[in-house]
Amino acid sequence: MSAVVVDNRVRTARIVLVVLGVLVLAFGAWVLVTTVRPNRIGGLATWLLGAVVLHDAILSPFVLAVGMGLRRAGRALRTWVLVVVQAAVVLGSVLALVVLPEIAAKAHGTKNDTVLPFDYTTRLLVVEGVLVAVVVIALVVGAVTARRRPDQPVVAGTTSP
Amino acid sequence: MRHTRDAMASPNRTARSAVVTGRLLGIAFLVCFLTGVYSHLLQEPLGWMRFPTRPVQLYQFTQGLHITAGIAIIPLLLAKLNVVMPALVQTPPVRSVLHLLERASIAVFVASALVQVVTGLLNTYQWYPWPFPFKQVHNALAYVLIGSLLIHIGTKLQIITRYWRKRDSFDAQGRFVADPTVGSELPDPNQHDPNDPAGQEARPGSASPSGGFVGRLHRWIDGTPAPGPVAPATDTVPVTRTAASADGRRQRVARRGFIAGVTAATAGVVALTVGQSSAVGEPFNVFGPRKRHLGQNGLPVNRTARAAGVLATATAADWALTVAGPSVSRTFSRAELIALGQTEARLPIACVEGWSQMATWKGVRMRDLLAAVQVDPHVHVRVTSLERHGGYRIMEMGPEYTADPTTLIALELNGEKLDLEHGFPARIIAPGRPGVLQTKWIERIEVIA
Repeated sequence: MSAVVVDNRVRTARIVLVVLGVLVLAFGAWVLVTTVRPNRIGGLATWLLGAVVLHDAILSPFVLAVGMGLRRAGRALRTWVLVVVQAAVVLGSVLALVVLPEIAAKAHGTKNDTVLPFDYTTRLLVVEGVLVAVVVIALVVGAVTARRRPDQPVVAGTTSP
Repeated sequence: MRHTRDAMASPNRTARSAVVTGRLLGIAFLVCFLTGVYSHLLQEPLGWMRFPTRPVQLYQFTQGLHITAGIAIIPLLLAKLNVVMPALVQTPPVRSVLHLLERASIAVFVASALVQVVTGLLNTYQWYPWPFPFKQVHNALAYVLIGSLLIHIGTKLQIITRYWRKRDSFDAQGRFVADPTVGSELPDPNQHDPNDPAGQEARPGSASPSGGFVGRLHRWIDGTPAPGPVAPATDTVPVTRTAASADGRRQRVARRGFIAGVTAATAGVVALTVGQSSAVGEPFNVFGPRKRHLGQNGLPVNRTARAAGVLATATAADWALTVAGPSVSRTFSRAELIALGQTEARLPIACVEGWSQMATWKGVRMRDLLAAVQVDPHVHVRVTSLERHGGYRIMEMGPEYTADPTTLIALELNGEKLDLEHGFPARIIAPGRPGVLQTKWIERIEVIA
């Protein structure tokens, strides 16, 4: 690691931000211990630790693998096709992350009929189906236009030329 | 460790990408923090505090923004954590005591951010599968999160200022410019460990053989060069320049693909849920936990009469509202309240969970009722509900609300008699307050100052 050069103004701003941050964080810790009973803080600690472990040990490797798969699958795709496929995969994944707990919450039971009123399973399947259709259409259109214009180079997506 | 890190090297895992996603995420967290603190103070004001009652939709806006920004944080946070993934597996893991503290502060930040977002989302679904109280923890963790975010911005400030502007971040070919003097922990997508074959794909000029798992993995991913030139290369263009521009193009395409993915996810997830709190988004409300106009009197319900334990007391024939002033105390039947003269007001119900809806209310003005017990309307009052239990059974209201001409003891909703689920025989409706303070099934109003 090369020597890090820190500008004087940056150094001052950094000290102010870190000191302020420590104070705000300490205030948060104080609010926590004064408003939440000690036996509940243990449960919270488990959730905080669990969230990091779940993200770093399970979700991240999964996303990395999907990213590599997309990169491999995308090396023969035209740029716009690859961008459409990527956007659809990311949107589909985030929607699943948001709506699957909603389905679970509804299955768990709601307090009245105006809470979670929709059939979220069907709706999620329909939206994911639309995204799959968009991906298929993009792939087909990309393949057809590439065949019609063979002189146009196929862009190697996010990969090397 | 190093191989894992090289496998993560990407044009989207640079200091510039971290700054771009970090800026958006920082804004979203700040919006959530400020709107959250506002909502908290409305519910638990310090004694001297007064709040604005105009525009009447202020809280509907701030809390809708809180939930919408919170939902937008989900894809932004995942994107940001994806960008900085190589820093997780940096070698050596800890360089100094200061570096250990910095990494610890990031662990606190990531943990509190993930828990805030997950529990906040599930709270909008009214599902609480955790062993701690939501409201208190959400409030405390907000300060922990913002504090650790300030520390993070402080420690990374040199990198943030270096890569703040696009023109300082890329060379003429569009390749990321790595500046080793600012101390970024993310790998340079242009440079690779010469002993490591993983980076060969970025240097088409060199075709040295490579071994090892990561090298094989990268060859499997990227394969042999795609047929045909990427740039309209002619024989006169030097090979190095062609390679540089091709690499710049590769990085630009990767960056645009990443931005397109994050934008699609953020816009999509917001558009399909924001209809629960915004009229503009109503037609696209596919996944919102609430649907506007659904429920008794055309309005969604949070706490039912059954859950509140008021089925018998709220429908009792001898129900009466007690209004206790310092000198005069009176009771009013529903008919006597109606006889005081009713006023119509258009005020929204805006829930802390984010859903909201405008409604037409009709009832007795709070200030008229206070005048009936010979009290100046600029007073603090305590309102008690028939509810047997629950944190909002007793509600207090400052003079800015009691004197407001739109603050009503509502008896009608959307042109119909107030439904039992919405607080029959009478409830409070006041401008700019969270739904939990619009007390239903009231039985007593007491002047306290």
